[in-house]
Amino acid sequence: MPCDELPDNLQILWKEAGMNPSTLSLDQVRNETKRLQARRRRGQVVLGACMLLFAASYGFSYFLFPDTLARVGGALTVIVCGYWLFHSIMERAPAAPHPGETDGLSFYRAELEHTRDIHRWLSWRWLLLLGPFILFDVGVGQIYAKVWPLIVLFVCFDCALLLAVFAIWLPVKNFRLARKYQELIDALDAASGRGKVHREHQAPLA
Amino acid sequence: MDRTEPQDELYQKATREYGTVLARMAYAYEADPDLRRDLSQEMHLALWRSLGKFNGRCSLRTWIYRVAHNVATSHVVRQARSKQITPAFLTLEEAEPQAGHENAEISADRNQSLDHLFALIQRLDPLDRQVIMAYLEDLDAQSISEITGLSTENVWSKIHRIKNLLIRRFPRGGHHAL
Repeated sequence: MPCDELPDNLQILWKEAGMNPSTLSLDQVRNETKRLQARRRRGQVVLGACMLLFAASYGFSYFLFPDTLARVGGALTVIVCGYWLFHSIMERAPAAPHPGETDGLSFYRAELEHTRDIHRWLSWRWLLLLGPFILFDVGVGQIYAKVWPLIVLFVCFDCALLLAVFAIWLPVKNFRLARKYQELIDALDAASGRGKVHREHQAPLA
Repeated sequence: MDRTEPQDELYQKATREYGTVLARMAYAYEADPDLRRDLSQEMHLALWRSLGKFNGRCSLRTWIYRVAHNVATSHVVRQARSKQITPAFLTLEEAEPQAGHENAEISADRNQSLDHLFALIQRLDPLDRQVIMAYLEDLDAQSISEITGLSTENVWSKIHRIKNLLIRRFPRGGHHAL
């Protein structure tokens, strides 16, 4: 049954909106699809390379700084980076619901859940980096403290900054975002009256 | 072109029949022209890819609407994620005009009215956007239910609220010549 009593002129206005349909030839579609896939792969490679470079520089510091704390801090940083890299590789292609086979409500819910899970994952993982960074800082400070006493102040400032960023700002921000997304999911469930019965359509949760 | 697979044929049919619908959807989901162009392209690519899996269990129209809306929804959520914010959507109630606020009227200036309409839609929750757009495209409640996954009762309830919203937002809609 068609929807009756429509605000007629508004519907006409909508349908007559002078939109130029963006048409892509089949060759363009194929080429663009390949280009998009290549761009995604390139992005993953760049991300991985950055993480490896970061980890390598800390790995190199093992040989550069003859201090146990600095070495432990550097080694732990490499381990944490490896963990993050492993996670980003394993999670790079979550089984997103198929856009044609999934209705709008399930798809939207899955998107919100995926985003919530990213923020939830990040919320406390920042803390993993904090310990190694501080150990490394203190270790380096110990090496140069006799030569340049002012470095103690610099190390203290750096540790305070690391604490503020990795223990407070980033975790709180991600935790809040995760909670906000959960609220959106709850509101969606309440409005649709469907709840969690449609989880089978969704991507596996992190 | 020599190679014409069912997927290609379906895509050509889809763009021929629903190209303008897809363009309107992109416009209603994304205000920024550059991002809109990207979104539109994304919709087309996703549509072509998805049509390889089209099994006829629903109509082609329903499939196209689902793909386009889902890609656009994903775009909206991704944009919010990249800006590290939660999407701030209006509910249909919140979109109701407040006392003293100016309403857009369907006047001689069609472009202005359209801009108001698109601006209104762009601020709504993705699910409400799907319903309002399907409603404006004159789809029946059953089809909207199939696309959105909402129950038919829920769709009717939303349509009722959308109608009221549009009538209040565009109060002289039925009386002005376009």
